[in-house]
Amino acid sequence: MGKLAGKKLLLLGERDGVPGPAMEACLKDSGAEVLFSVTECFV
Amino acid sequence: MSSVGIKGYAYCLNHAPELGLHYGSTPFTEREAKGDSDFLKALPKYIQTYEKAMQYAPNQAYIGGISYEEFEAAQTPWIKNYLSDANRYGRYGEIMPEDEFLGLLAICDVFDLIWLEKDFAGNVKARLLKDPVMTESIVARLKGAHDLPEIEAEIRDKKGRALYSDGKVVGCVRNGHEIDDCLFAYVLLENLACKAGGVLALLHLMKNSNVKPEEIDFVIECSEEGAGDMNQRAGGNFAKAVAEIAGCVNASGCDVRGFCAGPVNAIIAGASQVAAGARKNCVILAGGAVPKLFMNSRDHVKKELPALEDCLGNFALLLVPDDGTEKNPVIRLDALGKHSVGAGSAPQAITSALIHDPLSAQGLTFSDVDKFAAELQIPEITLPAGAGDVPHANIKMTAALAVMKKAIEKSGMDDFIKKHGVIGFAHTQGHIPSGVPFIGIACDHIRAGTMKRVMIIGKGSLFLARLTNLADGGSFLIEPSKGGASTGAVSKEDVKSLILEALSEIAGRLN
Repeated sequence: MGKLAGKKLLLLGERDGVPGPAMEACLKDSGAEVLFSVTECFV
Repeated sequence: MSSVGIKGYAYCLNHAPELGLHYGSTPFTEREAKGDSDFLKALPKYIQTYEKAMQYAPNQAYIGGISYEEFEAAQTPWIKNYLSDANRYGRYGEIMPEDEFLGLLAICDVFDLIWLEKDFAGNVKARLLKDPVMTESIVARLKGAHDLPEIEAEIRDKKGRALYSDGKVVGCVRNGHEIDDCLFAYVLLENLACKAGGVLALLHLMKNSNVKPEEIDFVIECSEEGAGDMNQRAGGNFAKAVAEIAGCVNASGCDVRGFCAGPVNAIIAGASQVAAGARKNCVILAGGAVPKLFMNSRDHVKKELPALEDCLGNFALLLVPDDGTEKNPVIRLDALGKHSVGAGSAPQAITSALIHDPLSAQGLTFSDVDKFAAELQIPEITLPAGAGDVPHANIKMTAALAVMKKAIEKSGMDDFIKKHGVIGFAHTQGHIPSGVPFIGIACDHIRAGTMKRVMIIGKGSLFLARLTNLADGGSFLIEPSKGGASTGAVSKEDVKSLILEALSEIAGRLN
């Protein structure tokens, strides 16, 4: 458990950067709760 | 046959700042929500004139007014170093001024939806006739000019949308239905503008390829617009509608969609049909997206920079059977990249699926490809909006993957990026910047022998439609023709010769 344990997360991903599901996968074992995750496209 | 020739290509822009000011989704939704806000009051001050748009280096690179090497060498920032000897026409296409584009909209309207004011219509008709790709029969379609009061009444009383030139109302798009929002004037404008852009690109394509309209067999359209009615919202079909205006009487067509991955998927679909012998030839084309005009203008205004998203982008390609000569570079159908459902969404997984896997399957590596053309947005548009330099981000990810796969040293990343990357020169029109603007440049270089292999990569943001969280992507390689692949079928003689070859090999082993 790292420093994100018990925290609530809002994840804003970007298609040509790091998408939301990729962040979710990285944070799966962090002990944090993902409240909202989305990928957007600005181009 | 696993390769298909690229006979021709066309790239055009339609300068459309007044359409953008009123119907780009950012200004439009701001006006609907807040009325005449400070942003909307300020935006017109940041709009470029037609002359500036024509002199903007990325726009000239797009229409082939300057070579890619000249573009690379052009002084940056481009917004402070406009080209002094720019022209409307380049070797791939043109930058059409907005008033003529409104005339082209009326030409493409077959349902009495576009009304232009009489004097304005007469003026643009005369100017359109000077365009080298416009024929008298096409321009003769510009009918139905009206008096201004009649147009004003249509806007005021019947939910028509105004069309502007020099800040004045010069026409309108009529509402297509009282309650069906698929046929509201805004949607019809969006679709007719997309159709008109597709027509312009197709006309330039036929000129560039030296083919007659009646020689075109099939058209696949791959924009991001949806034409239909309330019972079938995106029923289509832009392709056939475009072919009709361009006089392609022997062509049929269909539409392929996939957000920004639409063009790459459409090219693969068209190339496969040509390769199979199902079509004699196939045009892949797309017009531009009105809603994306001035999409990032809020940030441009905030930072007091020119609002550069003032052009609709369009393109067209002509695919033909591989004739085995150096004349037509080919798309390889045996080396396609595919972002499968199970590939995952991590940038590394996507890059691997689209770039490494198809190369590796053919025994190729990263340095065997001269250029990787992925997203090609103009960085001067996206950087001020916080979206970064998208082409650079993509080639950086490719270089990082090349390091991971031990194809290059980590210390060689910067050189790899410079040598194999492409600088963005396409407008933020969604489907347009996704790899396809580089096809013409790649073909020119392959014919000249200055490139031997280019990868075109398209990526689409499927998640925007709220059907799936997935993105999509596709890729293909362009190379010189290897020769001898001119027919799709294997002849009786080919079979005989293969059997004889195999038998003699067996006989040799027995001895």
